[in-house]
Amino acid sequence: MNFDKDLDARGLNCPLPILRAKKALNDMQSGQILRITATDPGSVKDFQAFCKQTGNELLSQTEENKEFVVLMKRK
Amino acid sequence: MSEVSPTQLAAYVSGGAFVLAFVFGAVGAKTNFCTMGAVADWVNMGDTSRLRMWLLAIAIAILGANALHLAGVVDLSKSIYQAPRFTWLSYLVGGGLFGIGMTLGSGCGSKTLIRIGGGNLKSVVVFMFLGVAAYMTLKGLFGAFRAGVLEGASISLAGNQDLPAIFARLLGGELKTWIIAVSLLFGGGLIAFVYASKEVRQNFDFTLGGVVVGLVIVAGWYVSGKIGYVAEDPKTLEEVFVATSSGRMESFSFVAPMAFTLEYLMFWTDTSRIVTFGIASAAGVVAGSAAYALATRTFRWESFRDAEDTANHMIGGILMGFGGVTALGCTVGQGITGFSTLALGSIVTFAAIIAGSAATMKWQYWRMMH
Repeated sequence: MNFDKDLDARGLNCPLPILRAKKALNDMQSGQILRITATDPGSVKDFQAFCKQTGNELLSQTEENKEFVVLMKRK
Repeated sequence: MSEVSPTQLAAYVSGGAFVLAFVFGAVGAKTNFCTMGAVADWVNMGDTSRLRMWLLAIAIAILGANALHLAGVVDLSKSIYQAPRFTWLSYLVGGGLFGIGMTLGSGCGSKTLIRIGGGNLKSVVVFMFLGVAAYMTLKGLFGAFRAGVLEGASISLAGNQDLPAIFARLLGGELKTWIIAVSLLFGGGLIAFVYASKEVRQNFDFTLGGVVVGLVIVAGWYVSGKIGYVAEDPKTLEEVFVATSSGRMESFSFVAPMAFTLEYLMFWTDTSRIVTFGIASAAGVVAGSAAYALATRTFRWESFRDAEDTANHMIGGILMGFGGVTALGCTVGQGITGFSTLALGSIVTFAAIIAGSAATMKWQYWRMMH
């Protein structure tokens, strides 16, 4: 899937992936898609909670080469 | 227990602590129980579910610990938390620095152990720095500052510092009545608050994490305060809680035990040293978390991203080591175990840790945006 912005959160642990995602979304337009790559297993649940709370749409969460890839659409 | 030798008794205590900590580690890993994550979810996304899970653990610990106390099974006044000396500056500074440290270091002491079990090498570094800094605060360079400066700012209360004792002194009435009233007010009030959330009611993991962690703390009191209690040590003719480092009744806490774990490993050939409650707890959490990670095939190696990430974890470990010893405990040691004794200092430390952690997250975001 295409995306508008790519965020590398590999090697970062809570709370930094969420904070960086917040900053990235802040610079984006409504409807644009953010891709995040993370390695912290805890980030999987964190991004689910983040989307639920903030209203940004969680499009997909997959695991590729031991990395977690998240796609979310800015509200 | 009169026929049991002190060595056997110590083995029961450390064995019991290990088993309970194993459960803590496994359930903590499964339910994502994390006190720093609780603050992060709240501050960064307005989600209080994990904070409620922590509060549920506190509520269960308060109700269980005070039930044991009232039934005469354990005596909470024999723990370190209720002592009359109210070291307010140590609680505030130690708690605040611990909160900053856990935010920089990917989680508090117990989370560090859970992360180690899951394969996080950063947390191994946090463990080392935390353990050394805690030891330096107990007996070394930082200890002089802790004892000479911070603990100088203290108030000697007329009696114990737990809320029931304070209320009984100020307002009169039986201590026992106040223990029942304050326990039910805090325990019941927190449980009502926790389950006011639809998210918590719908996802069983929050209940599982909160209840199990709370019960582990209560069971820890039983292991140390009942099984490990000797009314009269044949050598000293004084009462003793076997296999503790404080000599007092203990339940779970993770900062000083990391220092004692390092000390135990470094003085391994000194046969006078034993595996204490605290050392067994640190090992148990790592083992429980590792068992969960291996059983669910979620074990994965994690390492540092860059120099800044490395520095943050080193500083985080040092701040947690210093802060945790200074404040007499961490988010579990003061935040649940101490809180379960209804000690005022534990409640002050709990608030200071949350404030320090929340302020650090705000600072991290501000720095990112500027």
